Amino acid sequence: MSDVFGISVSALQAFQAAINVTSNNVANASTPGYNRETTNLTEALPQSNGSATVGAGVVVSGVSRAFSQAAANQLNTSQSTLGQLTALQSYSTQIDNLFGTTIGGLSTSLQTFYSAFSDIANAPTSTASRQALLGKAQSVASGFQSASSELSNLNTDVNSRITSDVTQINSIAAAITTLNKQIVTGTAQDGGQPPNELLDQRDQLVSKLSQLVGVTTTTDSNGALNVFVGNGQPLVLQGLTTALTTVPNQFNASQLEISTSVLNGNVISGSITSGDLGGLLAARTQVLNPALNKLGQVATALSQTVNSQQASGLDLNGKFGSAIFSVGTPQAVSSSQNTDATTATVSVNPTGLGALTADNYVLSYNAGAYALTRASDGSSVAFTGNGTAGNPLTADGISIVLSATPAAGDQFLIQPTATAASSLKIVLTDPSKIAAAGAVQASASNSNAGGAVISSGTTLDATNPNLLNTVTVTFTSATTYSINGGANQAYTDGGNIDFNGWEVQISGAPANGDVFTVKSNAGGTGDNRNALASAAQQAVGVLQNGTSSTTGAVSALITGLGSQAQQINTAQAAQAAVNSQALSSVQSLTGVNLDEEAASLLQWQHAYQAAAQALAIGNSLFTSLINAVNK
Amino acid sequence: MAVRVTQSLNQTQFLSALATLESNLSQTQNQISSNKAFTTAAQNPTAAGAVNNYNQALAQSQQYDTNAHSAQSRLSIEDSTLSQVQTQLQSLRDLALQANNSTLSAQNRSAIATQATQIQNSLLSLANTQDGNGEYLFGGFSTQTQPFTLSATGAAYNGDQGQRQVQIAAGQTIADGDNGNTVFGQIKTGNGTFAATAVSTNTGTGILGATTVSNSAVYQAGNGQYSINFTAPGTYEVRDSANALITTGSYAAGGTIAFAGIQVTLSGQPAANDSFAVAPSTNQSVFTTVQNLVNALQPGANNSVATAQLNNSLGSAINNIDRALSQSSNVRASVGARLNSITTQQSVSGSQQVQLQTTISSLQSLDYASALTTLTQQNTTLSAALQAYTLTQGLTLFKYI
Repeated sequence: MSDVFGISVSALQAFQAAINVTSNNVANASTPGYNRETTNLTEALPQSNGSATVGAGVVVSGVSRAFSQAAANQLNTSQSTLGQLTALQSYSTQIDNLFGTTIGGLSTSLQTFYSAFSDIANAPTSTASRQALLGKAQSVASGFQSASSELSNLNTDVNSRITSDVTQINSIAAAITTLNKQIVTGTAQDGGQPPNELLDQRDQLVSKLSQLVGVTTTTDSNGALNVFVGNGQPLVLQGLTTALTTVPNQFNASQLEISTSVLNGNVISGSITSGDLGGLLAARTQVLNPALNKLGQVATALSQTVNSQQASGLDLNGKFGSAIFSVGTPQAVSSSQNTDATTATVSVNPTGLGALTADNYVLSYNAGAYALTRASDGSSVAFTGNGTAGNPLTADGISIVLSATPAAGDQFLIQPTATAASSLKIVLTDPSKIAAAGAVQASASNSNAGGAVISSGTTLDATNPNLLNTVTVTFTSATTYSINGGANQAYTDGGNIDFNGWEVQISGAPANGDVFTVKSNAGGTGDNRNALASAAQQAVGVLQNGTSSTTGAVSALITGLGSQAQQINTAQAAQAAVNSQALSSVQSLTGVNLDEEAASLLQWQHAYQAAAQALAIGNSLFTSLINAVNK
Repeated sequence: MAVRVTQSLNQTQFLSALATLESNLSQTQNQISSNKAFTTAAQNPTAAGAVNNYNQALAQSQQYDTNAHSAQSRLSIEDSTLSQVQTQLQSLRDLALQANNSTLSAQNRSAIATQATQIQNSLLSLANTQDGNGEYLFGGFSTQTQPFTLSATGAAYNGDQGQRQVQIAAGQTIADGDNGNTVFGQIKTGNGTFAATAVSTNTGTGILGATTVSNSAVYQAGNGQYSINFTAPGTYEVRDSANALITTGSYAAGGTIAFAGIQVTLSGQPAANDSFAVAPSTNQSVFTTVQNLVNALQPGANNSVATAQLNNSLGSAINNIDRALSQSSNVRASVGARLNSITTQQSVSGSQQVQLQTTISSLQSLDYASALTTLTQQNTTLSAALQAYTLTQGLTLFKYI
């Protein structure tokens, strides 16, 4: 019936509903994930009285929420990127603080270690200065060890955060699945009216999820949401959750990788590049492991160069010097998926330091041929050899020997430097075994008539078994000489004379019959040539094809890690601004503005009052009519 | 249309801005309290790397100073030792001159011989000087073995010919000593080029005087070995090592005999068949020179022939002492030059270090004026933000309904 009572009552009911919706908006002004709702009012269908059509009032056709999937997607993507950068930043900042102290200290202790060789050069027979060198060597080794153990601790932390992220992701995915079911049923029950509260909750969960891991979503026609991670691996499909799982890395059981419950352990870590989880994986592959490898590269170079210089000189006992440092054997790990027991062993070539990189490599065997790739980017690495002990696979300063021909599909992770920093140890305890003296000494016979002089001699090849033999260089004329009575050789003033692994120069004018002797320097305890050479190694380029010294490499590591941290900080700050913008645009669309709601409340209040007034007028009209009839 | 601003977004953004402002303020505060422009490398990677490199350069330069100082102390000891060696050699020369006086009695000569022996002992102890670390100064590389021990013919050298270098600057090493063989052992006899000696069986009184190389080119063409034979008291012939006749001449006392670029003066009267040998200088230890002097001073027959022999021996001893003196002067000059370059290097490295420290400080130290300005700015911003927040929080329509 289209009358003032019916119309007014419909208005009172509609405005009551609108006031309720507005109050609900006010009540949820601070509720996370709440989207502002508005009351949809529609005119009630009029009933014609034959001559004119008068409206029948108003009805509430629904309550709709302000929501934009596009804006929500934008915010989610931005949150994923921010989550990734924030996780990455938390590690790069820790490393930055770490090398402000530990690694920075390493640079200083390396410097004082080389200086200690100078102190020995100043007083080669002094036990005090020799003992001091061993102390300095110890602090260098401890510096490398503690830097690497702090990096390893961070790696452990990454693992536990990965586990916790995966647990959270799975529980959110399960909640989304449950909501999916409720939404599908709810929508059907309400005759197609969307259950706004459930949708809000689900969108809020997707938003939370996107902070943990980058996701893409699709909505089915029945209202169910599908969620995918990585390269489209389903996490939620309608009412079904596919949980993420953590599996140990095939080469390194201590590093967790991501898989899903339907992939049989296939690792999808590579495709997870955003969200907190993506940041954790990136922190491991881009920050922690490279830093560990670079430290190891320096430790390897330090150990090799110091030890080989030691072996070139004589100690206080007249013996070749002993090694000061030791590093563990480089790692070659068989994949846990290998089908046979073939093992690989890797070693750093003594002459290969210049080519040695801080990379890890994957060696695989397929179709009867080996392939070597860089683990970081999968690029192919050229190599020679066939993997046997006699002809090892050689590439980038390393040699790889396989225990047997591997089965097809076998893979090995080659880590030339990863464990070097943690395993750098000092193995020399006896200060007298530090080689400060050169291996050979040269002298001119006092009966020489000529004025030629001989240099003190340097060691070219400490492994030459005849190095310490006494050798005489006799001039058979003013222009020729013979070594140990051998064939005459032409004399060049100041030219190099190389023999038995040593090198001397004779300069000046020798006379016929002049004799020069080169012999073992045992007893030459006051000699400091080897100590000088050791001190000079500080500036000798050994890494990066001879362009980077050990101290230079540590310096470069500090600058490199600092730049990386700075770059991540900048990117994170930029992304935070982007995210804040995305949040603003979502909030401006869906958030609750209290002033607006206050105005709405007033509007509905006035409308309600007007409708009530219309009812009163209807009542008064009716009363007038009754009164008139009753008279 | 204006962007809708919601109260909850307002709140979130205010809190996040507040966090940023407070973190910046705390960083500035840290900078001021630590007096460092950056505390971690990420705040300024380039400067952090540079500071690290400069610190290394500084430490290295300081190490070079330590090295230079150590070389300086060793060279100073050597310098003063050599100065004493020169004094001793000078006394020895005076003694030899004193002994070369025909009026001296055998007893007097014997007393001189005793003094010469004492000088030999002093020289020996000087040659065995140890430095502050207990290392022998003149042992070459064998610094823990006493370099000289007395022998019947002088002293044996137990060291080697090594010479230790010390790094006093990048690319600059300096020898921190000289081996005993160079200083005391390898001293040329005679005039440094050749030595003339009287054959011991001479029966005349010919005494060798000054010898010189008058024509270096002609001298070097031969092998330097000649013998001057007196065929009669006034006639001589000179033969080379192959016994070929070089020249003949007649001799008058105090006359000069010249041949093959060589000049030899003789005094006294050689007898027929007397002979004088000329040979290239050989190396002789200063201790052998002293020992020969002491031996020559032992009492012999008291006749003119024996006196001539003594004179010849003393003459050759004086020649050799002169060579030893000039050798120690040369070594001292070289030590002095090394001490000079150390001093020069020290002043260079001193200013280098000042420069490095200035650079490090300019990179690393905080500019207080600008940091305090920043701090004030940040403080003002933070208070303004807080004020703005409290002001805007009261703004709601609900207050007016």
